[in-house]
Amino acid sequence: MRCWVSLFAVVLAACTVLSVSWACASGPEEASGAVADAERSLRDAFRVVSDAEAFGANVSGLLDRLNEAGGALTSAGVALAEGNYSGAVGWAGTCRALSEDVSGDADVLKSDAVARAAGWWLTVSFSAVGAGVFVAALFLVWRWFRRTYEGKLLESRPEAVA
Amino acid sequence: MWSLADCRNVFLAVGLMGVMVFSVPSAMVFVRLPGGERFSELYVLGPGRMAEGYPFNVGENESYMVYLGVGNDLGSSAYYVVYVKFRNQTEPSPNATAGVPSSLPPMYEYHVFLEDGESWEQPLTFSFFQVSVAQNRSVVGGLSVDGVTLGVNRPGVWDDENKGYFYELFMELWVYGVASDAFQFHNRFVGLWVNMTAAS
Repeated sequence: MRCWVSLFAVVLAACTVLSVSWACASGPEEASGAVADAERSLRDAFRVVSDAEAFGANVSGLLDRLNEAGGALTSAGVALAEGNYSGAVGWAGTCRALSEDVSGDADVLKSDAVARAAGWWLTVSFSAVGAGVFVAALFLVWRWFRRTYEGKLLESRPEAVA
Repeated sequence: MWSLADCRNVFLAVGLMGVMVFSVPSAMVFVRLPGGERFSELYVLGPGRMAEGYPFNVGENESYMVYLGVGNDLGSSAYYVVYVKFRNQTEPSPNATAGVPSSLPPMYEYHVFLEDGESWEQPLTFSFFQVSVAQNRSVVGGLSVDGVTLGVNRPGVWDDENKGYFYELFMELWVYGVASDAFQFHNRFVGLWVNMTAAS
């Protein structure tokens, strides 16, 4: 029994040490990988935002958040250069989370913008119908005007005196 | 009194104008008006936010400040990176004619996202550490940009013509190309020449 308890204690201690070292001590490879991932996320997010803008979406708010993510990426790069690897991983994570958030929101904005852009034929139809109705109305007014004009002209014609 | 032909011409003119007015929304769907010239700005202003009072004679452990700005007139949103670099008189600077950036590594970088027509401006503080000047030679051991200290270990030589140990703190503007999925040097750079003195 005592043997099993000792074994359990050793395994538990080993797991604790391993998990703590995994969580706290990030190596240079892990840190530079995290920063590279964050850079990629930021570029991807901007691409989605740019796409949404091309469809006419208002992306001001998204760009503000990307600037925040860019600040986090700068901090991650600085931490990496200073040898603060866990700090670099932390900042890179912040940058990636912000970027992925922006990507998601930009996708939604893009869908809305695409739906709005697809309504272009409605604008064209309203224009065409409006122009047609206007021309028809003007034609009717013209006919009425011409009749009235000719009538007045006939009334004002001097009569022949026998 | 107007003749019937005159009245008909007036009706035709009104009809034509009406059709044109009704076509404007449709035309706006299809017609894209040409924009103005597309460009980006990169500038450095002195501590008073004017193009004057730039730090020139600099010393060790002193803090200096300038304003760094970027403007976007590219017609759409842009993702810029501003690289802050440091060089002595013999090291390569960017070449505007060839459109080539300096091959020196950046000391610091800013990631800037701007809408079309928008600009960004931020104070840039810098200071120099471990500066030594002796026997017509100088060495700058460290450079701090926005509170981040980096080892530069940059030697310099006495410039007999201009009387000083000159170094340049310069910024390059790079822009992200969505189509190429890469950053390209945007052929915009500004530099700040400083005369290094041993003590402030």
